[in-house]
Amino acid sequence: MKPPVYLALFILILPLQSSMLGPLAIAGISPDLVLIAVYVIGLLTGPREAAVAGLTLGFLQDINSAGFVGLMALTHGAAGFSAGLLGRNVLNFASPSNILFLAAFSLGEAVLITLFIQVIFGSVPFFSMLFTRMLPAAVYTGLFGTLVLQLLKSRKTLVLLTRPSLQKEF
Amino acid sequence: MFSFIGRNKKIFLALTLVVFLFWLVTTQVENGRFRFLERPVLAISGFFERITSGTYASLESAWDRYVFLVGTHRENLRLQDDLDRIHLENQLLQEVLQENERLRQLIAFRKEAFPSSVAVRILGRQVSPASTTLTISKGSENGVQMDMPVIVASGVVGRVQTTLDGSAKVMLLTDPGHALAVRVQRNREDGLLEGRISHCALKYVSYYVDIQEGDLLVTSGLDGIYPKGLPVATVVKVTRHESNPFQTVVAKPVVRISQIEEALVLTK
Repeated sequence: MKPPVYLALFILILPLQSSMLGPLAIAGISPDLVLIAVYVIGLLTGPREAAVAGLTLGFLQDINSAGFVGLMALTHGAAGFSAGLLGRNVLNFASPSNILFLAAFSLGEAVLITLFIQVIFGSVPFFSMLFTRMLPAAVYTGLFGTLVLQLLKSRKTLVLLTRPSLQKEF
Repeated sequence: MFSFIGRNKKIFLALTLVVFLFWLVTTQVENGRFRFLERPVLAISGFFERITSGTYASLESAWDRYVFLVGTHRENLRLQDDLDRIHLENQLLQEVLQENERLRQLIAFRKEAFPSSVAVRILGRQVSPASTTLTISKGSENGVQMDMPVIVASGVVGRVQTTLDGSAKVMLLTDPGHALAVRVQRNREDGLLEGRISHCALKYVSYYVDIQEGDLLVTSGLDGIYPKGLPVATVVKVTRHESNPFQTVVAKPVVRISQIEEALVLTK
């Protein structure tokens, strides 16, 4: 990704997530825009850069929320690394499998975090949360993320977003 | 050893980072959440939240008032178009009336129960799998300070986590870092209610205490933050194990966070 794109992303993604996606929420569930951004970076750049970007975005999300600093950094970093590996070996922007992978990443993150809270504090209604919160959020993130990928998939847009060294792959 | 690390430098670096982050998180479980960089990040995100939420409101208004009507005009006869416009305006008026009614209730509630309070609008909701917070439209220049309770007419929302001059961040009562002293309204038994992402857990309730699904939990005032008697959550699940001296009690907040648009910050 180009440095100005990263800068705009780091500054704007959290306000976009909190204010623009609010009206799109269904029963209090909205798509995870930060995870989608990390996934897109993974497909565009590769595992190392996406892991660093995921780490940074997750860190910002941690600071901006009331959660433990480092938790989302860890999970988004791992998601970025995995998306980078997928992008290098399996997927492209137009692949319909993106919906499944995005949903799986979202679900995996939520399950890991919930299990962490359960281990540390206990009394988490895991299965209730799985069906009422985690799964719907994962499906919504998968659908919304695929829509974003469809909007970005044209060669012109991808060239606009990425550094010249990465453009030869499009 | 060193040559092994040298050969696998990248893997070693990644593992070190993962271990460091894990240590960082577990340290906060013991010592409380780190608060560094909170204010600058809130300042930047709050600034853009105001812009994006304002832009969205304008676009929504334009869509409701104009674009949708253009579409309707193309599809229908002039009379039908007029009728639709009137209908739409009526809906908008209904929305204004509902907002008016909500604000009226909030002001009445504020006058009756909490004279020292500040009415705020919700600017944004930060939803992540680990935590959900709200950004509110007033901050330290309106008397909003850290740890002040945030409520609506139906019950407790959470408490102020960080403040800036013109905005503040609210930690919800479902956040794992949030705890408040509560009382079972039916039998006056005390307990500590902790956040569990989307629900809450009532801690330290003895095995022998009578607690049932549907019981309403209200603030007890013992934490020195929340005033006594505010509705907080409803008990949804109670589990007893003979090996455990305490019951496992899961409760659901009475306030639906996704639906609130205005709230009160109790300044005293």
